[in-house]
Amino acid sequence: MKVAVCIKQVPAKDAPLHITDTGAWIRETDIGFEMNEPDSFALEEALRLKEKHGGEVVALSMGPERTKQVIKEALAKGADRGIHISDDKFSQLDPLGSAKSIAAALKKDNFDLILTGLQSDDQGFGQTGVLLAELLGMPHATIIMQIEVQGQRLKLKKELEAGWFQWVELPLPAVLTIQSGINKVRYSSLKGIMAAKKKEIAVIARESLGIAHEPTQRVERIYVPQKAKHTEFIDGSPKEAAAKLIEKLRHEARVL
Amino acid sequence: MKILVITEQRDGKWNPVSSETLLAAQQIAAAQPGSRVAAVVIGKGVHGLAEEVAANQLAEILLVEHDLLDKYTPDGYAIALKQVVTQTQPDLVLLPHTYQVRDYAPKLAASLGKGMIADCVGYRAEKERVIFVRQMFQGKTAADVSFTGAPPWFVSFQAGAFRGDQVARGASAAPVTAISVNLQAEQIRTKPLDLFREAKQAVDLTQAPILVAIGRGIKAPENIPLAEKLAKLMGGELAASRPICDEGWLPMDRQIGSSGQTVAPKLYLALGISGAIQHVVGMKGSRTIVAINKDQNAPIFEVADYGIVGDIFELIPALTEVLEKK
Amino acid sequence: MSIERERLDADVLIVGAGPAGLACALHLARLIRQHNESGGKPELSTEGIYVLEKGRDIGAHQLSGAVLDPRALAELVPDFAKTAPLDTPVNDDAAYFLTASRAWKLPITPPPLRNHGNYIVSVSKLAKWLGGLVEQAGVNVFTQFAGAQLIHEGEAVAGVITEDKGRDKDGKPKDNFTPGYELRAKITVLAEGPRGSLTKHLVADRHLDGLNPQVYSIGVKELWEVPPGRITPGWVAHTLGWPLNSSMYGGGWVYGMRENRVSLGLVTGLEYHNPRFDPHEAFQLFKTHPFVRRILEGGKLVRYGAKTIPVGGWYSIPRTYLGGCLIIGDSASLLNSQRLKGIHMAIKSGMLAAETIVDALRAGDTSGTKLSAFRHKVDESWIGSELRSVRNFHQSFQHGLWLGLAHTAVQFVTGGRGLVDPMRMKAGHEQYHMLDGAGPAPPRFQGDGVLTFDRLTDVYHSGTRHEEDQPCHLHVLDTNICVNRCIIEYGNPCQYFCPAAVYEMVEEKGGRRLKINFSNCVHCKTCDIADPYQIIDWVPPEGGGGPNYEGM
Repeated sequence: MKVAVCIKQVPAKDAPLHITDTGAWIRETDIGFEMNEPDSFALEEALRLKEKHGGEVVALSMGPERTKQVIKEALAKGADRGIHISDDKFSQLDPLGSAKSIAAALKKDNFDLILTGLQSDDQGFGQTGVLLAELLGMPHATIIMQIEVQGQRLKLKKELEAGWFQWVELPLPAVLTIQSGINKVRYSSLKGIMAAKKKEIAVIARESLGIAHEPTQRVERIYVPQKAKHTEFIDGSPKEAAAKLIEKLRHEARVL
Repeated sequence: MKILVITEQRDGKWNPVSSETLLAAQQIAAAQPGSRVAAVVIGKGVHGLAEEVAANQLAEILLVEHDLLDKYTPDGYAIALKQVVTQTQPDLVLLPHTYQVRDYAPKLAASLGKGMIADCVGYRAEKERVIFVRQMFQGKTAADVSFTGAPPWFVSFQAGAFRGDQVARGASAAPVTAISVNLQAEQIRTKPLDLFREAKQAVDLTQAPILVAIGRGIKAPENIPLAEKLAKLMGGELAASRPICDEGWLPMDRQIGSSGQTVAPKLYLALGISGAIQHVVGMKGSRTIVAINKDQNAPIFEVADYGIVGDIFELIPALTEVLEKK
Repeated sequence: MSIERERLDADVLIVGAGPAGLACALHLARLIRQHNESGGKPELSTEGIYVLEKGRDIGAHQLSGAVLDPRALAELVPDFAKTAPLDTPVNDDAAYFLTASRAWKLPITPPPLRNHGNYIVSVSKLAKWLGGLVEQAGVNVFTQFAGAQLIHEGEAVAGVITEDKGRDKDGKPKDNFTPGYELRAKITVLAEGPRGSLTKHLVADRHLDGLNPQVYSIGVKELWEVPPGRITPGWVAHTLGWPLNSSMYGGGWVYGMRENRVSLGLVTGLEYHNPRFDPHEAFQLFKTHPFVRRILEGGKLVRYGAKTIPVGGWYSIPRTYLGGCLIIGDSASLLNSQRLKGIHMAIKSGMLAAETIVDALRAGDTSGTKLSAFRHKVDESWIGSELRSVRNFHQSFQHGLWLGLAHTAVQFVTGGRGLVDPMRMKAGHEQYHMLDGAGPAPPRFQGDGVLTFDRLTDVYHSGTRHEEDQPCHLHVLDTNICVNRCIIEYGNPCQYFCPAAVYEMVEEKGGRRLKINFSNCVHCKTCDIADPYQIIDWVPPEGGGGPNYEGM
């Protein structure tokens, strides 16, 4: 099976977020970056499929030079080769523009399966996988917990809300978005890290893909939601306070 | 502004989150004079449901039925709704941000060459346009996002962003118009099989609209069922600060904080939690925070909207009583 | 429990990617290239050099003030002034004596504290940059891997076993269990920093201790961003006195960096008498002194960290060579405690180790005798002359500040000899005074949340994180001692000396229990050093865990 995994590099979860002067993004200097955690589950799933069914796993990512780090990490864990779509202004793309670029890069190979995580921990648009399916003309399924390969078809366990699940079947080639936490992500082995140095990472400049795309949306500004530092203290006896609180939650805050 | 709301049902049962989307549409319409809100009911054998929806204050209900829409598939919904959107030419298409919408809505928008702003928690109507607010960095920041380019524009709202019970009822029932769509069996590539329930391995607290969280103040595991009952009454889930999970009184997947989950529900009730920064970073994005703690200097009060300095063992029963009465 | 471990063979294995380990790797790669280019036989390869680093990235576990004496860096990377990430040259240094309310500037800055020609640096950034050079030179640097155990072959060291990954909190293998590797090497270089876990056991087992036992200080540091204009980049201030009393060794620092950043901290000798002394609290108090407060007011905490420093000096240097093994840098006690500088010695020792290694590999002889050349090189180099000139410095202070200063003055004019040479000293953990009915413990420090912070808030700003579901890496050999003896004799000092609130005595039905919050650990090693019964053994947790000392 030829499997592609789309992996995003995001600011480290504990990186301090400083919003730039223009307010449209965060300062990227002096912070750590890491593999988007939801994508690490997709990668692990891809590696397990390769172990079970043979084939090839290709790790793809888009972004500036530092993005190579997550591709190398994927290679160290067992991916066979990497694709780096190089673009310094990656963070300014809208989901559709981003997906169009990735689709163009993926089209060159004939992948049986394309996997992504559910969403990125930074922007969290959560659309890439579904958009890729549409752009590549492939069937898709989202929030996948389990994958069974049956020849040229897949049987998939989808997670639904409120404790419900569903099996669906679809033909290959297909795009899947993988639910987080469905597997225990493997560690990079020493041998894997060394072997990764010899594996190929094809670099494609995003402009060279020739995508003509007008952005459909714009992030005007990012901000820390200002909590009015006003705590309303409710007093009285426990019974009184409880009643007052519920009242306020129902009619003032309107959350109950 | 012409607004189209795509409502959701499964096996003929209305997904209540759709009411929230109807309210959002009504509010946005009110801010833009001359606006019109229509709602789509899509599936098979849902005519009765459409008539129920028509009781709301809407211009029209569009009933989209087809044999191939009996069970949800992304292909079926996207192809059918593309025809509906093309036919009705709305400016804004609103959807609730459900698992189902996440599965087909980006595809629907892309098939029309349009973009979608998903998982919004609010909006701001400005003179000429509407700006949508969503969270980024797992709730640590908010972002104002606007559409560039021509409509239709696709937006989904996060569950709990609007109060579904406040949808305005119509003076009279809105007209229900059947819209026919073309669908061929070979266009539906996914074969949906049966649904089933399973005890979920791990609970995803990020999806809960209300969380009742306990901290060291709960003192002993025997007291946890009290908090759990309160959570259920409020329609929420039980969560905990780190020490509770460290002791093994609750599983790790209930933990909120820098080493647990980061959440931003519409209501977070912190019981007996001091508010150490490791915990606060996991929940300060919550829209309304209520803290109850014996210590008036507990740092949790700095992030709380409402605070009660008191004994949780008196207040939990008191709150439970108030909720049980209504 | 026998596990099958994958085996890898290296020529040289360097444990620790700090300045010492990286300097060794870089210089080694260079020497190997020169050797091969000049047709040396046998031909050597840089591919056989492995560097292990337990942190998430290179630099993640590096913490220091720091004011760097560039002499070693100039030897290692001649164009360092243009290429190294030096924050700012020192342009003003001063020493102060603090009382509770005043700051008395010393009219003359004592020579060891004069820093003209030196640079304020972030040792973390420095390590990251050196790491880049090392990787460019073709050396394999493996981050997120720790050296868990040494492999012995007879009297020689034959390599290292890396830590097992993927065990749950009870030690049982999880789905992704990956056993540690058996990494064999002709020569293993221990560059683990202060109180290295492999070094500690090796020195104890083989009786490699120097004349004096190693002694340590703990440095507690915060990095702040202050309003513009508040601080001049290049301003270096060192303080003595408050909040430490005259029986305690230590002092504070405040360094002005670029972009309105301030590095500040307090160093305390881990040989104080009061078992309830809290180094973290002392540092928070230090910030409330008007001298410091006026700099920080209106500013913001950026990062926090703590680490120990080996201050024993010359007579604490252990035997640094063994068959198949060298010990370098802080692990070998190569630090000038008077000047508060060790980075330059770490780098130089790494380079001298590299020279020793290339000779050994060329000759095919990795015996202790052959490797002993390293110690000769150290002694003959400026490391030796510098350390000899301050050989009794730290020990002078065991009877108090004033006596210490007096001794130091005499040592200064006698090339280090002073009045007593060698001055002997007991290990720090033997210097506690028992509680003996000292009364209830004082309340714990809370902090105001603006200028001063409680430990948990500070720990959050250290960026420390660990895989939660793994065995606790702090091995307490007998918790009965904690609950029955220590509680009476010393009042469980672990609750006080740990700068990361790892140790807690919690009330439980019938008594008390030691609770270990291992995931707060910032890898400073204070507990391993300062525990009065020496029953705490710090072992490396799963690689990648620990603090994130970016910019520190």
